[in-house]
Amino acid sequence: MRGLRFLLMWMAAVAGFGAVSGTVGLDGKAVDPFAEAAKVRVFIFVRTDCPVSNRYAPELKRLNDEFARRGAAFSLVYADPAQSSEGIRQHIEQYGFPGAVIRDPGHSLVRRARVTITPEAAVFSSEGKLLYHGRIDNRYIELGKTMASPTRRDLEDAIAAALDGRRQPEESAPAVGCFLADVE
Amino acid sequence: MTRAVLFLTLATGLVQAGAITFYKDITPIVYPSCAPCHRPGEAGPFPLLTYEEVKKHAQQIVGVTRRRYMPPWLPEPGSGDFHDARRLTDKQIRTIERWVEQGAQAGSPADAAPLPKFTPGWQLGTPDLILEASAAYRLRADGPDEYWNFVLPMKPAGTRWVKAIEIRPGNARAVHHANVLIDRSRSARMQEKTPGSGFGGMDLSIEADTFDPDSHFLFWKPGGVPWEEPDGMAWRADSSTDLVLNVHMQPTGKPEMVQPSIGLYFTSHPGTKFPMLVQLERDGALDIPAGARDFEVSDDFTVPMDVDVLAIYPHAHYLGRVLEGYATLPDGSRKGLIRIPDWDVNWQSVYRYTTPVFLPKGSVISMRFHYDNSEANPRNPNHPAKRVRGGNQATDEMSHLWLQVLPRGDQDRRMELQEALMRHRLDKYPGDFSAQFNLGALQLAKGNAADAIPYLRAAVEARPDQPVALNTLGAALLSSGNASDAAAILERALQANPRYTNARYNLANALAEQQQWEQAAAQFRAVLKENADDAGARQHLGEVLRLWGDEMAAAHRPEDAVSRYRESLSFRWDDARLHSDLGTALAKLGRFREAVPEFETALRLDPNLDAAKHNLQAARARLEQASEPGAIR
Repeated sequence: MRGLRFLLMWMAAVAGFGAVSGTVGLDGKAVDPFAEAAKVRVFIFVRTDCPVSNRYAPELKRLNDEFARRGAAFSLVYADPAQSSEGIRQHIEQYGFPGAVIRDPGHSLVRRARVTITPEAAVFSSEGKLLYHGRIDNRYIELGKTMASPTRRDLEDAIAAALDGRRQPEESAPAVGCFLADVE
Repeated sequence: MTRAVLFLTLATGLVQAGAITFYKDITPIVYPSCAPCHRPGEAGPFPLLTYEEVKKHAQQIVGVTRRRYMPPWLPEPGSGDFHDARRLTDKQIRTIERWVEQGAQAGSPADAAPLPKFTPGWQLGTPDLILEASAAYRLRADGPDEYWNFVLPMKPAGTRWVKAIEIRPGNARAVHHANVLIDRSRSARMQEKTPGSGFGGMDLSIEADTFDPDSHFLFWKPGGVPWEEPDGMAWRADSSTDLVLNVHMQPTGKPEMVQPSIGLYFTSHPGTKFPMLVQLERDGALDIPAGARDFEVSDDFTVPMDVDVLAIYPHAHYLGRVLEGYATLPDGSRKGLIRIPDWDVNWQSVYRYTTPVFLPKGSVISMRFHYDNSEANPRNPNHPAKRVRGGNQATDEMSHLWLQVLPRGDQDRRMELQEALMRHRLDKYPGDFSAQFNLGALQLAKGNAADAIPYLRAAVEARPDQPVALNTLGAALLSSGNASDAAAILERALQANPRYTNARYNLANALAEQQQWEQAAAQFRAVLKENADDAGARQHLGEVLRLWGDEMAAAHRPEDAVSRYRESLSFRWDDARLHSDLGTALAKLGRFREAVPEFETALRLDPNLDAAKHNLQAARARLEQASEPGAIR
């Protein structure tokens, strides 16, 4: 038993450098988040019970509307293994989140995207290179401290730069929200 | 090897001796301090009732408790002891931290603190009366915070005494806090585009025609326990009262429908104590330059009598930083009333003292508010920062320190208190409209119409189109016997607000006073069109029509007299003399058949009415003559 847990952890660590394993769709079938061709891949990490990621639903819709037609593929990533697929479906419907849906119960995509918070975003190139990971914008200074509207839109800038092939900072100031480590 | 051992303990659920566990150490913190909001149906965005639920937010809980963002509690310890203080101790915060450091272990459910009994729905049981907003407000999915006012008319017939209210937000997740204002003159509803639609605005002022100052804080915040007033502290609600519910909402990411309701709990014990809400403020000095890091405003009010302070409510908008209130007693000692070191308008609240704070006559209550209008203030709504002044809108600033004050002794001393407040205000703002107006209104309420007039004239000079001031000045002129000036001023009030029923009523009286019966009757009829139940207007219209009828009768116009008397009777059916006079006018027209029943009714109402007795006999005699054979039928 002890040996098995150890081995799995070690494998997951190695997997971070290559293909992502353990990600599934809402039907429970394995899904490779990098399988389909896309100019730029955007993953948004959310939780059903995180008020901060919920509040970003309209902004994510706006970004999807703006960039999907330019070749950016959006996916929502739910990393709480205890959350039911039915709960996720309801959540998406209630808030109108855009994009494909991936479950990442083993947090393999979380590690590859180097994210720790919901909501946090990761932008990958078509070759699977991590171009950006971090907050969506600077509206939240910290939990409970928000600006009326953001003055920096980090994710929007990152997607636009990736589509244009420009270089950009790979990391933002820390994202504000709920901890992914709490749902490992 | 060490790692392997640690794994083993986790996997088997074994807990090291002395380790911090959820059930033993965390439930005594989370159950009373978090669960009141963090449970299904309440405001908290996720429940925190079980081990699994708390563990799923463990690191977040460490972060928000360490920063004291949660549980939300703004006052600093050491300045005022308050009911339902939600502040965690440093030790409790450290315990949560260590629990998470040690792996957030469950422990044994047998060690758990008892889960508080939560009442679903109305916390005080079924209310005696429930007022629900007639239409829901649709809150957008995204965008800045919104403030909306719902106008809820009272329903019961007659006066009731309210010992408690409970506000159900209608959507706990979207509503951040709510505040009820008592609108006895139904002035706020005039701001609605259509009746029942409500209106926007962060703060509002209610206009009142009578001296009935606010006396109670009627406030709701998530997780708050409804406040039940002790005996003698109930407040009055009349059927003509509107309750205005001011609601602060935060978008959640999806559209939300918000339809709040208010539950009222009545008591048979009328209010026998007379508390009053006293406001310190310095909005007039709020002119904060862009970039100012520490802008201070102050106000100092000397209490004119011995008082107990029961509760306190500091209020500023987004730039407020440090909000402080304290009292300096006549012996020079200082009592802290409240100090909020890091103001957050989102968590504003009314704070009730566990023990009333006694302030002897001559104590000075001081307000010291500090504002940060720099870019460094994350809550600053303006980027770049810009000059901000005092005002009602969310983009303006405010500096209000409200105190619920109960003068010692059995008398109602609110007028004295109000007078002292308004004189203080006039010192702060010479020529100020509301100070002049209130001082005038106070004199009028005391029956000193002549003393009221100079203040009210000054108020009208400050704001020539303010309908309430014009109406009050009109009423004062009327009471002091100057009906013609009164009528002119009241006409102006109605020009400023044609739907102002009270001004129309006063105008009708001023016209009646000048014996302008026709115009007076027309105005009273208009009042009744706006409010058919207005007893005063019904009574006065009846009198005016009767006097008008008398004038017609004296001018030998019995036909006109009859129609005035008949209309008058619809308001004074039990006026024996009026029936008799109507009979007389009819008899003068030779309409004896109609005259007889009027005399009969008059005598039924007052058998000793000699004129009616005499005229009834005469009328009957004329009828008999007319019915003899040969007479024309």
